[in-house]
Amino acid sequence: MKTQVLVIGSGAGGATTAYELARAGVDVTVLEEGKRHDRAKTYGLGTTEGMKHLYRRRGMTPILGRVPIGYVEGSCFGGSTEINSGFWHRTPREVLARWQAQFDLEGASPEELAPHFAWAEEALSVSLSGRPFEKSTEVFARGAAAMDWAAHEVPRAATGCKSTNSCAVGCPTGAKQGMSISILPRAEAAGARVLTSARVRLLIKQGSRITGVLAEVELEDGARKLVRVDAEHVFVCAGPTETPALLRRTGIKFHVGDTLRIHPMLKVVARFRERIAAYDSVLPVLQVREFSPEVSMGGAFFTPGHAALSLSDNWDPARLDAIENMAGYYVAVRGRGRGQVRSSQLGDGETMLRYELAEEDVVNLSNGLARLATLLLAAGAEEVYPTVQGMAPITSEKQAIRWLDERLPRSALSLTTVHAFSACPIGERTDRCAADSYGKVPRWDNLYVNDASMLPDSPGVNPQGSVMAFARRNALHFLSRLGPS
Amino acid sequence: MGRHRKTMIALGLLASAVFLFLAVRRLDFASLRAIFARADLLPWVPLGVLSYVAGHVVRGLRCRLLVRREANLRLVTASNIVVVGYAANNVFPARLGELVRAGMLAERTGIPIAQSLVVTFIERVLDGLAILLLLVVGTMNGGAPGWTGDLVRVALLVFGGACAVMLFAVYSPALVVAGASRVGNRLGPRWHDRLVGLATSITNGGACLRDPKNAVWILFYSAVVWVLETGLFLAILPVFGLAPSFTAAAVAMSVTNLGLLVPSSPGFIGPFHFFCSRALMTHGVDEATALAYATVVHLAFYVPVTLWGAASMLWYGVEVGATAAMTREARAAGKELEIGGVVLHELATLSPATADEPASAFTTALVEAIVVPSGKRVEPTALRDAADFVHGQLGSLQPQLAMLFEGGMTFFRLVTRVRHLRGYCDLPLDTRRAWTLSWAESRYGLLRKLFKPVRATALLAYFDHPAMRASIVVPAKQLARKKGAASSAAPSGSAATGVEAE
Ligand SMILES: Cc1cc2nc3c(=O)[nH]c(=O)nc-3n(C[C@H](O)[C@H](O)[C@H](O)COP(=O)(O)OP(=O)(O)OC[C@H]3O[C@@H](n4cnc5c(N)ncnc54)[C@H](O)[C@@H]3O)c2cc1C
Repeated sequence: MKTQVLVIGSGAGGATTAYELARAGVDVTVLEEGKRHDRAKTYGLGTTEGMKHLYRRRGMTPILGRVPIGYVEGSCFGGSTEINSGFWHRTPREVLARWQAQFDLEGASPEELAPHFAWAEEALSVSLSGRPFEKSTEVFARGAAAMDWAAHEVPRAATGCKSTNSCAVGCPTGAKQGMSISILPRAEAAGARVLTSARVRLLIKQGSRITGVLAEVELEDGARKLVRVDAEHVFVCAGPTETPALLRRTGIKFHVGDTLRIHPMLKVVARFRERIAAYDSVLPVLQVREFSPEVSMGGAFFTPGHAALSLSDNWDPARLDAIENMAGYYVAVRGRGRGQVRSSQLGDGETMLRYELAEEDVVNLSNGLARLATLLLAAGAEEVYPTVQGMAPITSEKQAIRWLDERLPRSALSLTTVHAFSACPIGERTDRCAADSYGKVPRWDNLYVNDASMLPDSPGVNPQGSVMAFARRNALHFLSRLGPS
Repeated sequence: MGRHRKTMIALGLLASAVFLFLAVRRLDFASLRAIFARADLLPWVPLGVLSYVAGHVVRGLRCRLLVRREANLRLVTASNIVVVGYAANNVFPARLGELVRAGMLAERTGIPIAQSLVVTFIERVLDGLAILLLLVVGTMNGGAPGWTGDLVRVALLVFGGACAVMLFAVYSPALVVAGASRVGNRLGPRWHDRLVGLATSITNGGACLRDPKNAVWILFYSAVVWVLETGLFLAILPVFGLAPSFTAAAVAMSVTNLGLLVPSSPGFIGPFHFFCSRALMTHGVDEATALAYATVVHLAFYVPVTLWGAASMLWYGVEVGATAAMTREARAAGKELEIGGVVLHELATLSPATADEPASAFTTALVEAIVVPSGKRVEPTALRDAADFVHGQLGSLQPQLAMLFEGGMTFFRLVTRVRHLRGYCDLPLDTRRAWTLSWAESRYGLLRKLFKPVRATALLAYFDHPAMRASIVVPAKQLARKKGAASSAAPSGSAATGVEAE
């Protein structure tokens, strides 16, 4: 028996695709590598448990390069939306215009995307918190005001957030609208079948069609089987790094995996005079957009463990004694460098990621650090500890602004990112795109990509909104081609 | 009991009986008596047999490790399987024992026969390399005739080629399966599934070698096996008044075993004597003595293992039949699965995911050095859990990175031993902490990168552990009291100092 549409991955892209297709009466099967967890038992358990259960390779998926970059993504029912912070942005108009110009991207003007954003925002109840700021946000707002920089609270897909500080380890209260609680139940109600613990290893090719997939399935008793699942159409929504890796493992390599983009992020810990207790509340919800889309600043997930990690570049454990006066923040840049996704020739074809920072990235990170530190000092921070090896704490504006003119030494940077995209860019430019404007992979009659990997270039904002809007647009476009089912 | 199962049991018993008959029939008791009469058998022959039999136990250890992911074989069972293969080679022609052994391994572990054959293939390749190594060692001091050099070259070609094939299948399983899928698809769905299933079995067969530690142990066992087998050849030298020379024994052992690779008569009677005596003659031993030597070695090689193998076959005969029947039944049932309404066509069984193991003493010592600040008390549960977490995290790295990390850490431990004249775990905590930090914060980027994964995960896990959290984070109840104290403190700098003083 063949499924009509096979969706690989149940994250932002996969869930949206599955829901729209199932709702239209299409026979949909979703294969998800991660497990379906019981929220009451597995979510919100703490860093180590969260990483074990919800993250790909338990969070050990570094991006290699001259400056290695820590990268994580989700691998569970709902994908990265289960561990993200729920910050919501529409793709900026300027970015869409650029994509149109550079990739001949069709049907992606702000007006054309607006209904899709509106749908997602409604489905996820995206809104402002409507509550007084937590202390870590409050001091950040104070700093932004002192600098007179444009900053605003970012809407989140987390109405009724109880501020448990568990975003990154699975929201235990169900306030955050990860796919597992928002779109996937609807997709299942509409008839989509979701099989978890099912990792697709390979697409099966025949002529110009994909006839199905080879997948590793873990059964309830722990036994593992290699199985074949047949399908008429295949949507690969395995996320920004796994989609290109899977295509490449299958031998589909045309502009696939050559253009990985990320938002490199430099974190700092700030110690204030007052008690912040950032480890006890949701991360700061304010973002400084004064320098966007090239540079943005905001609050980072903060726990004693994360504090220790951020302080480890210049390790003095005594600093942790002031943990209750500390909070974590970041400066993120739009990432002009270029990365690659490759599936290793060795082993099970594991995904290997590479990214080289562009010179502009280093300049933007340096300037960003200068500005972030200035803002935090203006907000009352006594010391700002950047994740730069060998750098003394920044205690004065003079020390901070030095980095407006100087460059941070690459080899000393400890960077991270949670935003990756663009390894299978969509558009009509056959000289640079892996799929057409609606995600169909050329040369293959029934193969589509529909997740973060399709975004033609870095959006410069948190990407989930863009992923869902584009995924829905593409799913509806597919349906219009499919005809009445 | 089903009919099928009964038939299988009957076949198992029959095979055992035939096996025993063939084994006894092959013994030439007359020549045995003549040779024993003029030789100094004690204590050398029992010693040689002991060494040879010990080699089979080590082979059992190796076999157990090779199928560790699939089955938890007991050492006795693994050794018996190995010996059955050898014994079967002694009674069946053309090395058919390899098939018998693969069959029995498949039945005992439930792995597909193709996978079992791959395990056998890997063993043979490793054996070949070990034998080759001993031959090179044996001929290194010069004086060896030209043909040994030729033999080394030919063996190198054969085993080098086989080793390359093995390494490809072991370390690039995804490519092998993808290739099978591509080829199979051209032949239709049924062939596709068969080929992919076969390719998966083949790549599963070598999966244990992907774990560097396992691989090292397997290589080590292979070397030990053949050193012990050399022990047999060495022990028999004094039986004929020959000086016990390891190089002579190594050459005799290697040449004989390389000669036996050619499928031949049951028990290798003929080829064994030929290759063994020729090899010994290169060390100046006369032909008659060399032949007598070969005969005794052959008997020591043939009799105990054949008897052990026959006994094992008899012992397992009934069970082998039963397991075979069960496996067949299970295979027939498992072709199509339906889970949650999704129809899945089963192509192969994969090894189950391995459970988390506790951290090693080294990882625990490393984590302790990283996370426990000087002058502070260690929180034991936090340390243990953090070490286990780090162990699991490092095990989740991509294999290439994991290998680099392992290599780096081996280097670190080596330098530690040279620098401190002690193992890392034996260093006092303060020394360990300072030493580790000097690497983790070294001015050399490469060293910092090496320590980054372990340091990052250790700090994260230790300081986020509930026990540690409770000790560094001010509980809400104490907050009111603390607020009172803080409000009377000076506004700048001192608040933090106050916290630090607590
Ligand atoms: C910690 C963190 C915080 C973030 N914060 C924000 C935020 O606040 N706002 C925002 O907009 N974005 C945020 N993001 C990014 C956002 O979550 C992602 O951009 C988005 O989820 C990407 O959607 P996707 O469908 O491409 O991939 P994912 O959501 O990652 O889903 C991919 C799914 O495919 C599955 N999969 C992969 N390979 C296979 C395979 N071979 N077979 C079967 N299944 C497979 C994976 O297990 C996974 O479940 C964050 C991300 C992280 C990791």
